[in-house]
Amino acid sequence: MTDNKILNDMKKNIFVLTIMLFTGFVANAQVKKGDVLIKNATVLTVTKGTLTNTDVLVSGGKISRIGKGLNAPNGVQEIDATGKFLMPGIIDAHSHIALSAVNEGTSQVTSEVQMGDVIDPFDVSIYRALAGGVTSTHALHGSANVIGGESETLKLRYGSTNPEDLKFENAPRTIKFALGENPTRGGRSRGIQPSSRMGVEAMLRNSFTDAQAYRAKWNAYKADKNPRKIAPEYDLRMETLVDILEGRVLVHCHSYRADEIYMLMKVFADFGITKLTYQHANEAYKVAPELAEFGAMASVFADWWAYKLEVYYSTAYNATILTRNGVTTSINSDSGELIRHLFHEAAKTQKYGDLTDEEALSLITLNPAKQLGIENRVGSIEVGKDADLALFEGHPLSVYAIPVMTFVDGVKYFDRANDIKDQRIYVNPEQAVENVTIFNREDQHRCMDTEVVSFEALFSNNK
Amino acid sequence: MKRVFQLIIIAIMVPLLSFGQEDDQVMKARGGKFALTNAKIYTVTNGIIENGTLLINNGIIEAVGANVKIPADAEVIDCKGKEIYPGMIDSGTKLGLSEIESIAEANDFSESGDLTPQMQALSAVNPNSVSIPVTRVSGVTTVWTAPAGGVLPGTAATINLFGYTPDQMFAGSKGIIMNFPSSGGGGRFRRRSPEEQAKAVERALKTVNDAWDKAELYAKIEGSGDVRDYPEIEALVPVVKGSMALFIEVNAAKDILTALEWIKKRGYKNVVLTGVAEGWRVADKIAEAKVPVVAGPVQAIPTRDSDAYDAAYANPAIMHKAGVKVAIRTGDTENVRNLPYHAGFAAAYGMGKEEALKAITINAAQILGVSDQIGSIEVGKKANVFVSTGDPFETATKITNVFIDGYLIPMTSQQIRLYDEFLNRTPGVKKNDPAIQIKKK
Amino acid sequence: MKLLSIKTIRAVFLLLISVASLSVKAQSDPTGQSAVTRTFAITNATVVQAPGKEIKEATVVIKNGLIEAVGTNLTIPNNAQVIDGKGMYVYSAFIDGLAYTGSKRPENVARPNNLFSPDPPNDYAGITPENSVLAQIDISSSTIGNMRKEGFAISHTVPYGRMLPGSGALILLGDKSHADEIMLMNDVSMFTQFAGAPGAYPGNVLGIMAKWRNLYRNAENNKKHYDAYTENPSGIERPERDRVTEAFFPVVTKQRPVVFDVAGVLEVQRAMSLQKDLGFKLIVGNVQQAWDIAPMLKNNGTGVFLSLDMPDMPKEAKGKDLEAMTEETKQLEARKMEFWKKYASQAAVLSAAGVKFGFSSLDATGNKIKANLMTMIENGLNESDALAALTINAASLLGIDKIAGTVEKGKTANLMVSNAPFFTKDAQIRYMFVDGDKYDLEIKEKKEAGKGNASEGSAAGAAAVVGSWTYSFETPQGETTGKMIIKNEGGTLTGSMTSGDGSGDVDMQDVTFVNGVLTFSISRDGGGQSIELVISGTVTGKTYNAEVTVSAFNFSTPLTATKDDGQ
Repeated sequence: MTDNKILNDMKKNIFVLTIMLFTGFVANAQVKKGDVLIKNATVLTVTKGTLTNTDVLVSGGKISRIGKGLNAPNGVQEIDATGKFLMPGIIDAHSHIALSAVNEGTSQVTSEVQMGDVIDPFDVSIYRALAGGVTSTHALHGSANVIGGESETLKLRYGSTNPEDLKFENAPRTIKFALGENPTRGGRSRGIQPSSRMGVEAMLRNSFTDAQAYRAKWNAYKADKNPRKIAPEYDLRMETLVDILEGRVLVHCHSYRADEIYMLMKVFADFGITKLTYQHANEAYKVAPELAEFGAMASVFADWWAYKLEVYYSTAYNATILTRNGVTTSINSDSGELIRHLFHEAAKTQKYGDLTDEEALSLITLNPAKQLGIENRVGSIEVGKDADLALFEGHPLSVYAIPVMTFVDGVKYFDRANDIKDQRIYVNPEQAVENVTIFNREDQHRCMDTEVVSFEALFSNNK
Repeated sequence: MKRVFQLIIIAIMVPLLSFGQEDDQVMKARGGKFALTNAKIYTVTNGIIENGTLLINNGIIEAVGANVKIPADAEVIDCKGKEIYPGMIDSGTKLGLSEIESIAEANDFSESGDLTPQMQALSAVNPNSVSIPVTRVSGVTTVWTAPAGGVLPGTAATINLFGYTPDQMFAGSKGIIMNFPSSGGGGRFRRRSPEEQAKAVERALKTVNDAWDKAELYAKIEGSGDVRDYPEIEALVPVVKGSMALFIEVNAAKDILTALEWIKKRGYKNVVLTGVAEGWRVADKIAEAKVPVVAGPVQAIPTRDSDAYDAAYANPAIMHKAGVKVAIRTGDTENVRNLPYHAGFAAAYGMGKEEALKAITINAAQILGVSDQIGSIEVGKKANVFVSTGDPFETATKITNVFIDGYLIPMTSQQIRLYDEFLNRTPGVKKNDPAIQIKKK
Repeated sequence: MKLLSIKTIRAVFLLLISVASLSVKAQSDPTGQSAVTRTFAITNATVVQAPGKEIKEATVVIKNGLIEAVGTNLTIPNNAQVIDGKGMYVYSAFIDGLAYTGSKRPENVARPNNLFSPDPPNDYAGITPENSVLAQIDISSSTIGNMRKEGFAISHTVPYGRMLPGSGALILLGDKSHADEIMLMNDVSMFTQFAGAPGAYPGNVLGIMAKWRNLYRNAENNKKHYDAYTENPSGIERPERDRVTEAFFPVVTKQRPVVFDVAGVLEVQRAMSLQKDLGFKLIVGNVQQAWDIAPMLKNNGTGVFLSLDMPDMPKEAKGKDLEAMTEETKQLEARKMEFWKKYASQAAVLSAAGVKFGFSSLDATGNKIKANLMTMIENGLNESDALAALTINAASLLGIDKIAGTVEKGKTANLMVSNAPFFTKDAQIRYMFVDGDKYDLEIKEKKEAGKGNASEGSAAGAAAVVGSWTYSFETPQGETTGKMIIKNEGGTLTGSMTSGDGSGDVDMQDVTFVNGVLTFSISRDGGGQSIELVISGTVTGKTYNAEVTVSAFNFSTPLTATKDDGQ
């Protein structure tokens, strides 16, 4: 090897080293936890009233103290929040951002699929949601199937390339069900069941009866003392259904009409399933007393309606009626746009029904936390809870409110003062710089009812 | 205990909220002579009148001021502690043209064919659309309702949100809609080079130019007596002559610049740009061309992944500051009631309340060509006004009275009626209801 | 874990040698193309025995398909054909870690009627791990010679298909008359990819992840059942002979690695998360975005075959264009360049992190391989690491390092001889030895500027696409066929498609033909929503091999078209 060549190789090594320094290796899922002292804010605790001129100390990603005149431990960053409002990070109980795929819409029961497999940490919608004060989303499967897949509760830790980093550690398992127009669309276009709301009920009952039989088979196998026993067939789809029967998975059901909402309660009552939240539930207000009595919860839109027949008889007073009837209610986005101003969506309940500030804020914090089974971790500002926080200029229920900082586990992921425009994590070197997509309200509605158009319909003559 | 407390709240709230509506009583709008007294009146064009009176007579604003004499035969509505504004105007909707979006048969805003400028939105407006009362009780009294679809999808119209026939609703102006060829688009898998995009726009522009060349020729030889009947082209003639406005839907920055060039070359005097999602990128150029814009929706995601998260919120403010006349639209159908919130977001992100209010009142009226009739509280203008408990942009604010064309509008809608019926449903849940008999495992 | 036992290798060798010698001794050859002898001596050459190990003025003796001797001062056998290697460089021929080389895309599976079901037929769903790529090998495929031209002698070739197309095989890139003759080793891997079935379960990555777990866990159970039954069938229900589950058995016992086609960084991590759940032996192939996960790959011991494909370098604006650029555009262009460099330096980053990797040609076009390798070297990859990835590391990942990957006595005579050090710009390959057979390659004169790139700028090469074509592609409703007509209208390509379902002509939009790639899009009405289908692929003579992509459904399917005769 000539000297020159050695020199060249050395240069290359230095180059590689430089690249490594800039790239910054992402280690195996080790989530960042922050320490910070937020001084002199109006603290909207949600559970313990409004505290004026109050400090919140965060240590190791948890809220460690709430009080006046707190001092920052050595090296802990202090944020002057004078005149600003601090609220718990907003939780969206219905979202499809941060996902590479939404529906496995090729079959009516797909309880085996898991949204945790398809997290997309690069979706710039995550940053935009953070810029709206959102810290957690419920990443749901779509609504093409009667029983869709398991969903994943996320913390919006934007910036990582590792999908695991976004998972809300130890959040309970949840699954998506769907009733009404969407899951019957597949059947209607193919002439198979379910083509009606009757068929949806039958499919639900069949599925859980199958699951009971599956469970019995495995229980018998486990009890069998024969050393040469042979295991029954393993079926991930049935495994998940059994977990639902046993209460290990919370059901979140896409639904609109009161009759279908009522039907599912009856089916669940028969199978002894109690952990139930209705998603969208535009007509839940009509059966609010039944929901309250069952203990079912509802996650609704503030005012979306009329985009399809089953939401024609909606009312923007839905959340209020549900709340006043004692149903734990949340307001969700189901949209990469709405998610950026859920605080404003929640405020609409003050126009449509005069909910108090605390009630309105609960709709996007504590209540969705309850629906996701994470209320012991997030959803209010209390000592011991995760420091998932949103700081606002202006009261968050005011239309003029501007989110200025958002923290997850005490780590600041959004700061309006230091906002860099281009937040993409990965950039396609072959894509034109001017890659313009015009926001389309219709697309947003379609987002909500993912795959309104089936792929089949594209090639079908009977439109 | 909690439950009891809730019931008490309900008992207090219900009468307050349902605006005194009786079960099954048909509520009709009423015309006549009204005196709205003791109000803070936002005239928009002539400042704010504290403790003022607004006199409505026979559909017209007869007087407004601090010292207005109240005629004996006027119905007095005491607005103490309340505010009065000109009715809000949404400069871009499909209201009345679509009842249920997913059902093809319930949509009438789009015709077959690329060139259908003669199609009249006004003819397809359903005065009894359930969305109309839902919208007007929120203080939106007038909207621009427009066809959509092809290159020249049709003729839009300004309508007031009260009336039993389209003509009763017609608020006096129409305009041609044109979708300017777009260089944007291309899905995730699309790799169009800028050159290819430019070529595509050029081709699409050719179709557009052919139509307008014909229209210009038509306008020139119209009187010669030997011109064929050509409704598509005839519909464009008023634009060529400047007697009707052309509304160009255009969003990408590059396309906006192309559109401005196009307008200059054509020399059309009465042109409005709509959508203008990337107007902020070329605001100076729009201002220079002195072309007004209808911007929105404001609550929208940015047009590019690389854009700042608040690009759409800040867009109206940036254009306004550059000197562009800006109106704000929702682009919505059933949720046009959210117009004040789109304006509110624009206000918060740099536009300020006063300008944002203009963007949905006087600016909108000027751009739509109806400012002689509506858009501000001035004597002689149509009585399109609303009374509110405060700042109409603020989410919690209630609208208590709405006047359209001088008619006092009943404060009810399908959504309010459902609320009244179901807030405290009778009967409630029954003890033996099968849905709550949960079987033990 | 070794892929092959030495015994098997020996057996295969004996077989190969006997076949080869037969071909020399027992057959007449009226074409006159056969070699006179299979003994060769390359003399006076620089022999790169292994990365970093170079012998000058050395001789390599090849005999019976093996490297007989390497060194200086060797005795040259009398029956050898002597090749003067003066000024030449001898390398171990390259090994392609994951490729379709030599395999032929099978006919589309007919669309069954009962698609909307949790359990569509396996062949349509793409769950056929019991198949072998052998069934798809086409020895007349031009891809074999094309990859050999690029320096490759062994290819880990996998079958076309969907989720689990079948097992891969190691093939020798020689010209032979029977598939068996080029087969080095069959069933060396279970090939899998995130490719859903059109309109059937599993339709996308969601279903594929779940189906994978289900198949694997069932196979674990079934394996126990089979074993118990084999040991003593008395009193045990006869296990159902399920070919899919049986195909998983060597994976469950970690005798056979799972090779995942995963280009993007998220897909790589998904494959790794499956592996973490289930515990099989994993190789990730066709990897394009691993710069951020090098330590993870290293810690996990995951085998990696990096893609030989690379995005085109963003064009840097100059002069007037640069002046016209806004600050924002400059920054965005800079980010594109920053990311292009990440692609270009990915191999260097992995190398520095100590990840053992080879290369895959799966998504690469043959004539770009050398250029892309040079780009990687310019962006920090050591030449010796590049060579290792192409030879010994690939051999070791595929378990054939005992027989391939270096120029050493006793190894298979797979050699590449170039007229200059290979990793220099103008170096060209002069000879390839595959399994001891010599292939002469033409040394091309340097291309004249502008020549050979006639299709740059769509109109010039447009004649190749203008005319009438008959196309077919698979839709959920079954195969759709029809005509596509492409015209050249004053330098602009336009066209239309008729579809077999009688829905009338559809105009093509944005038709482009650049560098042999024809791209256009069409819109279909999906219930009021306009859905865009993008069709893009390569035109070779009268054949168009394309992919239809519907981004709205995150779906793609192949389309093939043939130019109608008489044009």
